[in-house]
Amino acid sequence: MTGATSATRTAGTPAGGQKTLHLHDVHKHYGGRTVVDIADLVLGAHGIEGLIGPNGAGKTTLMKLITHVVSPDRGRIEYHSPGGTVVLTQHSPDAIARMGVVKTNQVIQDFESLTIRDSLLLSLAGAQQERFWKVRRDKGFLRRANEEIDEYLDLFHFQDPDGRAGSAGEKKLLDILRCLLLKPRYLLMDEPTAGLPQEETDKVMQVMRAKTRETDLSILIIEHDLDLIWETCEYVHFMAEGEILLQGTPSDVRSNATVAEKYLGASHA
Amino acid sequence: MSTLVIPLQGLTIIICLGVLLHLQFGRTGIVNFGVVGFSGIGMYTTGILVVNYAIPFGLALLIATAVTGLVAFLLGLLILNLDNEAVMVATLAFSTVVFYLVTTEDWLTEGVVGLGTVPRPFEVGDNATSQLAFLLVLVALAGALLLYAARLQHVPYGRLLFSIQDNETLSRSLGKPTFRHKLVLFTVTCAAMGAIGSLDASVNQFLVPRLLTADLTFVVWIALVLGGRKRVWGAVLGALLTVGLFDIVIEQYVDVPREFAQQLPNVQLMLFGLTLMLVILFRPQGLLGERRRKPQEAPQVENRKKVEA
Repeated sequence: MTGATSATRTAGTPAGGQKTLHLHDVHKHYGGRTVVDIADLVLGAHGIEGLIGPNGAGKTTLMKLITHVVSPDRGRIEYHSPGGTVVLTQHSPDAIARMGVVKTNQVIQDFESLTIRDSLLLSLAGAQQERFWKVRRDKGFLRRANEEIDEYLDLFHFQDPDGRAGSAGEKKLLDILRCLLLKPRYLLMDEPTAGLPQEETDKVMQVMRAKTRETDLSILIIEHDLDLIWETCEYVHFMAEGEILLQGTPSDVRSNATVAEKYLGASHA
Repeated sequence: MSTLVIPLQGLTIIICLGVLLHLQFGRTGIVNFGVVGFSGIGMYTTGILVVNYAIPFGLALLIATAVTGLVAFLLGLLILNLDNEAVMVATLAFSTVVFYLVTTEDWLTEGVVGLGTVPRPFEVGDNATSQLAFLLVLVALAGALLLYAARLQHVPYGRLLFSIQDNETLSRSLGKPTFRHKLVLFTVTCAAMGAIGSLDASVNQFLVPRLLTADLTFVVWIALVLGGRKRVWGAVLGALLTVGLFDIVIEQYVDVPREFAQQLPNVQLMLFGLTLMLVILFRPQGLLGERRRKPQEAPQVENRKKVEA
């Protein structure tokens, strides 16, 4: 079980828009229960990485620690990018999002007063537009923003883009699109397919693969649909009881006895 | 006509405060139960400066606005990252503190004896004309506030404020510095409440602590909630149906028996309270309801696409 730390890879050569997250000695416990206990971990050395593990393994908490929605009890999380190194644990969640480290939500989150289009426009607007004295229509911004939004709306079907998101699936999809419009550099996806119809899931994953190829986006996915993980991810981290127990290519992880015992065995027996 | 001017001034003041509360509560979700505290600081700052120190009204208005803004900024810094319930209690407590300070610090405010007379900001012609002109200024101010609130429907800042009200955590996760935005909005709108209070000093002319009881806060709240807190015109409709109905229609045009007339203010507050309960029970979004989406917006976007294609 102590193999976790030795499995840590070196970051590789941080060239050409390479971004990595380094977690050093990161601990989080709720009450007496340790939820996350990571000695050393490098994320983001590959375009799309998977984070798998049984329920309660601490996967979502790990993502929340990265975006600093949850503060660690101790430890450092560093974000290395061509722009320099930032210690994420010293920044607010909104500042981290502005750096390009963005997380989609597992549980459905929405703005009930905003239509789908308004919600997407919210994502695209920046501090430049959001000032209390800016009450004149900004045609340039609207045109650019609507173009960008329409690109996604052509791809993904909403019942009524100028109304509110109706179904759970629409809200889930909207959540992902909001994050994509932020043009993240490192995207954390917490169970993106839960609640989405299969065809939408396929389209989302297609877009994700294309984005990681065409832009400098890196993705970390938590997913219980393991077929999706084996198919999509270049590298997989297996987490249980707050620790990263195993890392490797999908085929390595898939064939590993520990994973079978701790996770596949537990759920597939 | 002239007997109507002063009640109409009061009504317009309520509408102005109601629109500002719409920006705070209806748009951003800041539960400000201390409206009268902020307008009261503006009112008494103006009164003290004009009456005790003979400072011109215009300058006093600016100082009052700045002082209210500063107080709101400091209070906001302390409370705006707390839960809604805590913000509500804190602002209510704040306005109570203002009330008691004004009552007890009589070396400055004349306490219950009263501070007066606060003149009108300007004079045109005779008294009646000046009163009417002042009313028009207040109406123009209310119009400007309504215009601002209406513009927010269409611009990024308005969407941002709604997002903070609906789901602040989600808004932060999209990179919005929500606390800073709330602090700025709270400071600016409370400063505006101070400015309205400053003009209200001139409407009342004679300032007594009784003007700073929570009654005013409740009246503004009932007007906004009755009309529709998320709607631009909510405060206007609500104010007309509450203050307008009582202070103008009944007071001016209904022949209330004298023994009953004395009870009218109490009955009025009871009815307002009852109204608030009924609205919350049966129509929590207020008479105007939820914001409707404009059906013409979608085709517009379609047209734009076609033109470019």
